[in-house]
Amino acid sequence: MEVFRLNEVSFSFPEEEQIVLQDISVTINEGEFVIIGGASGSGKTTLLKLLKKELRPTGDLKGDIVFRGKPVEEWDGKRLIEQIGYVFQDPDNQIVMDEVMQEIVFGLENLGYSNFEMRKRVAEMVHFFGVEDLLRAKPSELSGGQKQLLNLLSVLLMKPRVLLLDEPTSQLDPVAAKELILMLERLNKETGMTIVLVEHRMEELYAMADRVLFLEKGRVLYNSTSREVIARVYQDETKQLLAYLPSFSRLYMEFESNPILDSIPLTVKECKQWIGQDAKEQAVQPTVPGKAESSPFLLQMEDVYYRYKIDAPIVLKNFHLTIRKGEFFSLVGGNGSGKTTALRAGLGSIKPQRGKIWFEGREIGKMKDSEWLGKIAYLPQNPRTYFLQQTIEEEMLINHAHLKAEEAERRMNDLLETFGITHLRSRHPYDCSGGEMQKAALACMLMSEPDLLFMDEPTKGMDPISKQQLGELLTHLQKQGLTIFMVTHDIGFTAHFANRCAMMFDGEIAADGTPNELFKGNYFYTTAINRATRETRQAEVLTYEEAVAIWNVHETI
Amino acid sequence: MGNGIQSIHPFVMFFYYLFVGFYAMFFNHPVFLLVGCFALVAVNLTHDRGSSMKQWLPMMVGMTLLIILVNPFINSRGTHVFFYFRGKQVTLEATLYGVVTSMSLLMILLLFISLNLVLNGNKILYIFSRILPKTAFLIMLSIRFVPLLKRRLTEIQDVQRLKGRTIRQGSIRNRAKSGMAIMQILLAWSLEEAIETADSMKARGYGTGKRSPYNPFRLTKVDRQWLVYLFVLFIISVIGGLLGYGKIIIYPKLGTLHLYSLDWVVFASSMAIILFPVFVEGREQLKWKYSA
Repeated sequence: MEVFRLNEVSFSFPEEEQIVLQDISVTINEGEFVIIGGASGSGKTTLLKLLKKELRPTGDLKGDIVFRGKPVEEWDGKRLIEQIGYVFQDPDNQIVMDEVMQEIVFGLENLGYSNFEMRKRVAEMVHFFGVEDLLRAKPSELSGGQKQLLNLLSVLLMKPRVLLLDEPTSQLDPVAAKELILMLERLNKETGMTIVLVEHRMEELYAMADRVLFLEKGRVLYNSTSREVIARVYQDETKQLLAYLPSFSRLYMEFESNPILDSIPLTVKECKQWIGQDAKEQAVQPTVPGKAESSPFLLQMEDVYYRYKIDAPIVLKNFHLTIRKGEFFSLVGGNGSGKTTALRAGLGSIKPQRGKIWFEGREIGKMKDSEWLGKIAYLPQNPRTYFLQQTIEEEMLINHAHLKAEEAERRMNDLLETFGITHLRSRHPYDCSGGEMQKAALACMLMSEPDLLFMDEPTKGMDPISKQQLGELLTHLQKQGLTIFMVTHDIGFTAHFANRCAMMFDGEIAADGTPNELFKGNYFYTTAINRATRETRQAEVLTYEEAVAIWNVHETI
Repeated sequence: MGNGIQSIHPFVMFFYYLFVGFYAMFFNHPVFLLVGCFALVAVNLTHDRGSSMKQWLPMMVGMTLLIILVNPFINSRGTHVFFYFRGKQVTLEATLYGVVTSMSLLMILLLFISLNLVLNGNKILYIFSRILPKTAFLIMLSIRFVPLLKRRLTEIQDVQRLKGRTIRQGSIRNRAKSGMAIMQILLAWSLEEAIETADSMKARGYGTGKRSPYNPFRLTKVDRQWLVYLFVLFIISVIGGLLGYGKIIIYPKLGTLHLYSLDWVVFASSMAIILFPVFVEGREQLKWKYSA
């Protein structure tokens, strides 16, 4: 049975010429797991919001949207709210109440259910999710993954027929993201719930999706099963979508001499089977840390201990880290391992209870503000926190009164050019998209020619194409002499662009080395393609690009 | 410790605090108030062995002493004169009045320490939501925002500090300027994020009709019995108090402090109210020990 049928749906925002969605005709059947992909601004979120009547943006909508045989407009409001559940991107913003229990019954309260019904549903669903111990907690005490699970739970209590999710994992670390996805798969398989999921991080979704939909500039580009979409992308040579495909499927399409549709690998397991297990046991190469480089130290942290309150657990203990000039360093680790605290200590935002931090050989705590201002830059997770002026141009010039006007002007133009945001110079920063705002903030910081750039999760919620662009930009800046300190969950990004990385665990640095030394051979803390190529007949690789570079043997497969 | 009282329905506790608060302000016989203070100390001991009372100890002692010492010197009403201080009379009545006031305040303070432990967070909101549902909902929403705003504020401070805007260093003028800038960002950012919160509320049917609040507490038979117990004793105490028992005349001339037999009845019934949490806890202990 059809859950949704869209008939030539077009949509545009008022007073804007650009059409957001154009002639979309899609059917979603009962019990299907559909994923929708596409670059930022391709209209994915708008499409999803159109399906949920209450969230429909104001604008010009043409065509009909039919829900279970009846146009959406003819449905009773309350029934529709119940039957179509919606989970948003940000885990925090969706939570309304100050107690988990109050939050999950929020929807039922609004719809006027009896206390009997609420208790019954809560008892059942909470048990299914296994979160009994969280009921009395406050949302602010939960981790991001737990918050998103709570949001899912509070929607599910209304017993929806279809679940719409807008990038629910974009703000989560890989382990929490995986957990949420597995929960969705379980719901789909065990209860037959229809699920429509908009996502950027699609690598693991192809295996569970019944259908993959790609949008581009408001039009449906592909709408078919996972394998067919992959094959079609290669057939049509749709280059811009390659980055959205699972990397092991790309290996297959690239290296298999005559690819067969049904054997395109979608999981690590299938990929391993295709490459073939290695017959002879490979001697485990003990990883030897590379020889020390000779460039001088820029940032040194020695024996740092930190806790937020006297009776709170220790976040950093015996923390040692040295960063040399010109390095692109990436710090990875699970939630709560102390990554962000380490970064804040490096910034000088918090003063460690024990240990010392040196910047350019001088202790940070003893320096005057004026001595380091401009030498350290910090790109936060949300670049919105950076801007104060009305336009990007003003923001770039404001702190540089000491420079000659034409010198500042010249530097600004150079930076705008490098970042490709010249057309945004007179725009208000808040009117830019997330990626543009990030670039603008980075450009503003580089005006003072800093030595060291700190970044906190710069790739969070980014589509693969923007990620690639950001990585190339950072590599370019590194070549010009900028030292980069990045904290991230994104192992793929780290493996591709960083030249040194460290893994944090329990307040300490557990391992420190090049991406190759650190990630090869791990079970979870590595890229999917590494898992797929380990212990196979081919050389173990970390990124797709590495495979393309070093596998040159079509005939062995 | 304190498990027994936590399982009592918030409404019963609400009336308990209401009645004891009333007691502290209604009666002014020093014996009533002094014993009332001791009874409340006992109540607090059953909650957490007095650890939160300890935190308030300096404040309680200081306040009591201050009122007892200062009142006779600034208030010169009364007829029994002790001595003259800078030409003003220091009287027995004013001294006693200070004692009574300070003990009455002390009782209320002790009561609040207990209230804070027993009716924490959501229980107090639950009581509110029965009286003022919309206000309680609004309070809940606002409380939810506090940790969010705090987290955003630290993030903004970290970023702006590196741009030289900080509220920790520099001249007052500059600090104020930086503070304003930080608040401006916080406000703009939070407003934008709040749009999603509003969407999430709409998506779950907020505003589609009358809400039926979820009731996390159930009034059991035991709760009802305690409620009757409290009400009966309270009515006895109030009638007694209206007839003049448990009260003394201080101004203009101190009356008798003698306690008549009916005074003792009022005294006993009000003590039985104040000690209610101790009884609950004691009953619990007995049950644990002797029921198996």
